[in-house]
Amino acid sequence: MIRGVLARRRYMREHRWTHAHLSEYLDGELADGERRRVEAHTSICPQCTRVLATLRRTLERLRMLSADRPPGLAEGVIERLRQEPAG
Amino acid sequence: MARETTTDERALVSRARAGDRSAFEELVRRHADRLYAVVVRLCADSSEAEEVVQEAFLRAWRGIDRFESRSRFFTWLYRIGVNEAKRRAERRPAGGTVGSIEDEPIDGAPDWSEAPEPRAEQEELHRALERAVRALPPDHRAALVLRDIEGLTTHEAAEVMELSQAALKSRLHRARLAVRRALDERYLEERR
Repeated sequence: MIRGVLARRRYMREHRWTHAHLSEYLDGELADGERRRVEAHTSICPQCTRVLATLRRTLERLRMLSADRPPGLAEGVIERLRQEPAG
Repeated sequence: MARETTTDERALVSRARAGDRSAFEELVRRHADRLYAVVVRLCADSSEAEEVVQEAFLRAWRGIDRFESRSRFFTWLYRIGVNEAKRRAERRPAGGTVGSIEDEPIDGAPDWSEAPEPRAEQEELHRALERAVRALPPDHRAALVLRDIEGLTTHEAAEVMELSQAALKSRLHRARLAVRRALDERYLEERR
């Protein structure tokens, strides 16, 4: 009984920690021991596995977003700058 | 980007500091489009974003003496642009632009990490992503745009936002989780 409660507490502690560090894991910004900690928890937690996989996919998609640049933007700025006194 | 502070760029900055307008104009040509790409997602619309870009370069030109060459020109410039965009956002009446963070995973949402994306659905998906990014509070949005859309490093994005790297990472993570959750909602909706 007590062992079960302690195991549950440990699981939840790892769950919160992992959830808070998924971005750093994906960015390769965790130390080796921390990376292994994420991997150990995600190997037994279906929710963290799903969040990690979908977060990875989200980042791939975000990197594909682009903004339409208005043509002649730089030249418009330069024209305005030329009305300014010397810096 | 020639995001590296190249010798060439340092020389341009140095000449601009000495009052060489043509050197500063070259810096404008190099950075205007990328600065626009950052601020357009922080502004109400594209015309406001153009004004912010113009204002950022004007301020940079007027204040080039204050630029500390130990940082990179583009992080200094982006900081001016991001601050100007945030200042304008704060002046707008509340509602729609403040944003909120809902980043907890939704119970029962499908695992869409391997979901196929037919070409016909890609545009809709991009629109859903853009909506999710726009729904973020400005500081979280700025962190995500700088890091994930424009590809700055954590160090560079933190420098632009004048945050510690730990604070930047915290905002970025919450922002990413909120966008991820918005896609959870989209896939759940699709299932119904």
